[in-house]
Amino acid sequence: MATLASWAEAFAAIFKEGGNVFTGIVGGILPGLIVLMTAINALVSIIGIERVEELGRKAGGTSPLLWPVRYFFYPFIAGFILTNPITHMMGKFLPERYKAAWVENSFRAMHYGLGLFPHMNPGEIFTWAGISSGVESLGYSTAELAVRYLLCGAVLMTISGIITEKMYFWLWARGHNGQQPTN
Amino acid sequence: MLKLIDKVGRGAGKVVGILYQAGRDSIDQVITNILPFMAFVSFIIGLILKSGVGTVIANTLVPLSSNLVGLLVLSFIVTLPFLSPLLGPGAVIGQIIGTLVGVEIGRGTVPVSMALPAMFAVNGQCGCDFVPVGLAMSEAEEETIEYGVPAVLYSRTISGPIAVLLAWVFSIGLTYQ
Repeated sequence: MATLASWAEAFAAIFKEGGNVFTGIVGGILPGLIVLMTAINALVSIIGIERVEELGRKAGGTSPLLWPVRYFFYPFIAGFILTNPITHMMGKFLPERYKAAWVENSFRAMHYGLGLFPHMNPGEIFTWAGISSGVESLGYSTAELAVRYLLCGAVLMTISGIITEKMYFWLWARGHNGQQPTN
Repeated sequence: MLKLIDKVGRGAGKVVGILYQAGRDSIDQVITNILPFMAFVSFIIGLILKSGVGTVIANTLVPLSSNLVGLLVLSFIVTLPFLSPLLGPGAVIGQIIGTLVGVEIGRGTVPVSMALPAMFAVNGQCGCDFVPVGLAMSEAEEETIEYGVPAVLYSRTISGPIAVLLAWVFSIGLTYQ
């Protein structure tokens, strides 16, 4: 009887602990998140998406100076305004040959800003909040971590955009007797 | 005068309408996307903290996530072209492993200085399940998709470990207070 009781207690303890965690993250993350999302949703509906399209058309050039624009600023700004998953449609303003590298980074853009702008992809917030809440539970501030997450993401997106672009050109050339993609 | 009042009234009405709709959108998001995931994560954390599962996971995850070499190995594994599309959907796996590492950081078994590199290591596969759909959403031609999908998957295996190294560099000088 005593064993059964201790089992029942251990079983209930799991859900009690889970409940404590739940009230912790709901009370800690949600209120600020809701207010922030409301403010940014309003801002976005005032800005409109025409400006995003304009940026996309400019980002499709061949100059190497456009690498950070095409693979960081454009997906990030599109993600900020259009959020997941509408952002991925914005690659249609780029030439065909850059679309693979664009998609690579429109995915990445959905995560690296979450520490500062959780409205961008709230359904996947734990890609950031999973680890940051561990840091927070030690009593540390996560603001600097969030800034560094985004900055590191910006550099990474530029690099990975270039790698994917080169990889696409290489695979294309292999399938077309060494010719480069033209459109 | 009446015109002015009319104009101000209309303007205020428009602003209130936009704000109200924005509030409705964010509450919708919270109920359909965020709260279900929070409930799910809370259950997993409760299970880990109060049952024996925690020690098993800690034994496998802690050696990988408590040092740079382990994180490089982890990021390489999750970005392998045949694994990353399986690990990608909904970013669920990345979020769960992230949460587990977060719990270990909170316990002190994983050093807090590994937080940023770990964030990139557990998420190297992000979106890999979605590449053909993403390309199709961007109105890519069939041939672009044919070469684009392997281009993204292969380049991930290179950029996965690069991401961890980069995050390690970006952690330099980050003090927790």
